[in-house]
Amino acid sequence: MKRRNLLFTVGLIALVSLSGCRKPAAAAKADPLLAAYDSEPDWSDATKSVSLRYQEAQGKRVFYQYCVWCHADATPAGPSNRSNLTPVPPLLNDGATLNSESDEFMQNIITLGGSAMGKSAMMPPYGRTLSAEEIRSVIAFTRAIAQPPFQPPGRPGSQYSVK
Amino acid sequence: MPAEEMGKVTDRMRFAFAVSSLIFLAVLAISPFKDYRREWKQYKRTYLRFAQGRPDTKRLTADYSPDIDQIWIPGMNVVDRCTTCHQGITQASLADSSVPQPFRAHPPIPHNVRDWGCTICHRGQGPATAVAEAHESTLAWEQPALPTHFIQASCGTCHQSDLPQTPQLVKGRQVLAELNCVGCHKLQGIERPAMLGPDLSSIGTKVSREWVYKWLKEPRTIVDKDGNVTVNGYETEEEPRMPKFRLSETELRALTAYLSVQNAKPLAPYRISSAVVASWSKNPELISQGELRFRQMFCSTCHSLAVTRAGETKLIGGDIGPELTKVGSKVNPDWLVAWLRDPEAYLPHTRMPKYGWSDEDLYKVTQYITTKLVDPDLLNDVPKLDPPTDAEIQLGRRLFAEKGCASCHAIEGISPQKDFGPDLSALGAKNASELEFGTAKIAHNLVSYIQAKLQDPVSVNPAARMPQYSWEPGDLDAVITALLSMKGAPATSALQNLVVPRKDASFRPTGSFAELYERYKCYTCHKFNGYGGDLAPDLTYEGSRVQRQWLIEFLKNPQTLRPTLILRMPQLNMSEKDAAILADYLSMVMQHPAVNPAAIDSKQFTPAMATLGKQLYEVKYQCQSCHTIGASGGYVGPNLNNAGGWLTPAWMEAWLKNPQALVADTIEPRRNFTDQEIQALTAYLMTLRAGLKPQKTASISGARLLAQGAGR
Repeated sequence: MKRRNLLFTVGLIALVSLSGCRKPAAAAKADPLLAAYDSEPDWSDATKSVSLRYQEAQGKRVFYQYCVWCHADATPAGPSNRSNLTPVPPLLNDGATLNSESDEFMQNIITLGGSAMGKSAMMPPYGRTLSAEEIRSVIAFTRAIAQPPFQPPGRPGSQYSVK
Repeated sequence: MPAEEMGKVTDRMRFAFAVSSLIFLAVLAISPFKDYRREWKQYKRTYLRFAQGRPDTKRLTADYSPDIDQIWIPGMNVVDRCTTCHQGITQASLADSSVPQPFRAHPPIPHNVRDWGCTICHRGQGPATAVAEAHESTLAWEQPALPTHFIQASCGTCHQSDLPQTPQLVKGRQVLAELNCVGCHKLQGIERPAMLGPDLSSIGTKVSREWVYKWLKEPRTIVDKDGNVTVNGYETEEEPRMPKFRLSETELRALTAYLSVQNAKPLAPYRISSAVVASWSKNPELISQGELRFRQMFCSTCHSLAVTRAGETKLIGGDIGPELTKVGSKVNPDWLVAWLRDPEAYLPHTRMPKYGWSDEDLYKVTQYITTKLVDPDLLNDVPKLDPPTDAEIQLGRRLFAEKGCASCHAIEGISPQKDFGPDLSALGAKNASELEFGTAKIAHNLVSYIQAKLQDPVSVNPAARMPQYSWEPGDLDAVITALLSMKGAPATSALQNLVVPRKDASFRPTGSFAELYERYKCYTCHKFNGYGGDLAPDLTYEGSRVQRQWLIEFLKNPQTLRPTLILRMPQLNMSEKDAAILADYLSMVMQHPAVNPAAIDSKQFTPAMATLGKQLYEVKYQCQSCHTIGASGGYVGPNLNNAGGWLTPAWMEAWLKNPQALVADTIEPRRNFTDQEIQALTAYLMTLRAGLKPQKTASISGARLLAQGAGR
């Protein structure tokens, strides 16, 4: 009888102490699109879409107001001004051209214009129109949509293929 | 137990005592272990190890504290311990995406995180120190963190005026306004306009009962051969504003009966002169001439038509007025003639301008519409409808009130019921327990609820009166964002002080200008002091910008040098007198304070200055990348062929100095011109004259808004 009481007490204490170890509620699987601030269709493959972080999304907004007219093949107003220009300006997602340019160069050419950086004078300077932060965000957007994808300097791409 | 054994300690008791002591010791030992293993302490230690492995370890570890970190802002009800785990949010060096969460720095936003806390924008539970409790809706706490995709809603809670940085929110508010949600619901910051849906007081004189039946059953006019509604995804990306009501056959018959007898304010019929009819009715050119006039008057700026090219049907044209592909099978031809002559007489507050018509044009265009814009099969699916009976009409009248039709449509004898739908001005602050989920199999949180309710109102409430809308994916997300931003009156006075109210934009001209402004509905497309549409250029400073004579010529015969544009200023057939009144008012009143016409004298320009300006234009600054002169150049900016006959020199000078000072969101970059260069460029531009009138692109500003929201 006593033994039973004792076992009961021990069991009760064990239960009480175990109840403190309850598992935290399992985190629901997040929808990747809900986690992204915004998204942009992949220019070279309409079925895919690139999710954008805050800064990249701000860059997208600036791009579609100021840059899209010459740095994309289709603009919201219809045809692009790109074909009117010689030399032809690079598409914003042209990774083969833009990935090798440093962020400093990109910042400079947008701020100071093409002629200041030894490129076409048709690229006007935006340093007095856009803030440095807005220009940085456009560069972040450029990097986000680049094809082939942009690899930040100093961190070469993995030698192992992605599974 | 015998009395003598009382108080004696037996071995058995000693054993029991020893065992229970050991158990208590073990239990006591668990709590420090559990404390050590707390989620936030684990994140603290992980962060410390992470910081020690970084090149800037010295600064990171100097800012490290092993305790709970908390942002406390008493006036705003903020007690946020988020920074306990999100320790790097203010460390600029941790901004890189390679930094693992939760240690990454917060992206640069206009607000300082330390001054605002986290839950003001991200929601969730600030005081919580466990991951699940802080981020999700758990039993104890009900506000889950807002998904990042809808985070602009939080900007909108205080910023009730539109911000350029929050395109999704701005678009959501626009869609809420366009879809007339205020007809039934109270919404924060969205006012009830003068007209929601069309006035139906005389609808019986405009369309047949059969057409109303078809429209109420499926409020789309274009259905492809497979029966799919293909208005979606057309170039205009616009949904018809009329939603779909779930009506039974009896209800359809009753409503159509009631509407078909509405004849309270019929239009006076207009008879086109018989001489015109006689001379044109037999002319084989009649229809093609009508089509030509239809095009020349630029009806397509507001109305779209379905065009099939290479097997693909697209809507081409604007979305201000209804789409007209099959309108000839819809409206009564006599009504059409009277309507075109004077739209306001039939529909008060319409956005359709009153054109100047000659009988000849009116005959040609109406004949084109009623012969070519038709579909003989349009009403094939409609059952035979007998003349309406009194019982049907009475039931229809009741249904019209019960279904909420009167919330958007004025009709004789029924006044709109106040607060027909629920008040949504504080929807964004609702907890999950305040919402009815019914049997819907969706996550129990506010975002899923709004999404389900908008996509299919009966899914969460089978008795819902709300009609069915069809949504573009981008629009749905934008509307959810705007609804989440509406959190009602701020809870504290500190929060109240943060509200940036929406600017009340109004423009109330007077005199003879006001009459013409109303007649031609200038505000449908143009903005005046912040009031009006955004399809066409803002005319707030038009008086400073353009020369009066150019304005008169343009108003009489608007033209553009951009063959690619679909949306252009319509040919309103304005008289010389009307054009002069409009031009006088615009030149006198719509002036920019910083543009001083007396400051510059165009007589002082010399040919040498103009030559220098030409060089600057063509070589140094290469303006031709965006502007066209002659036959070459870009078409981002306006064509400058007639700059000298169009713009005022004072405007040019001020514009070249700082374009953003005149038009805040213009895309023309501000250059670093010297005063001499500005003079030279102005002198050069003033020499450019041509018979053809350039026009600013009509579609860029509207299309830009589209682009920001849709992300195309």
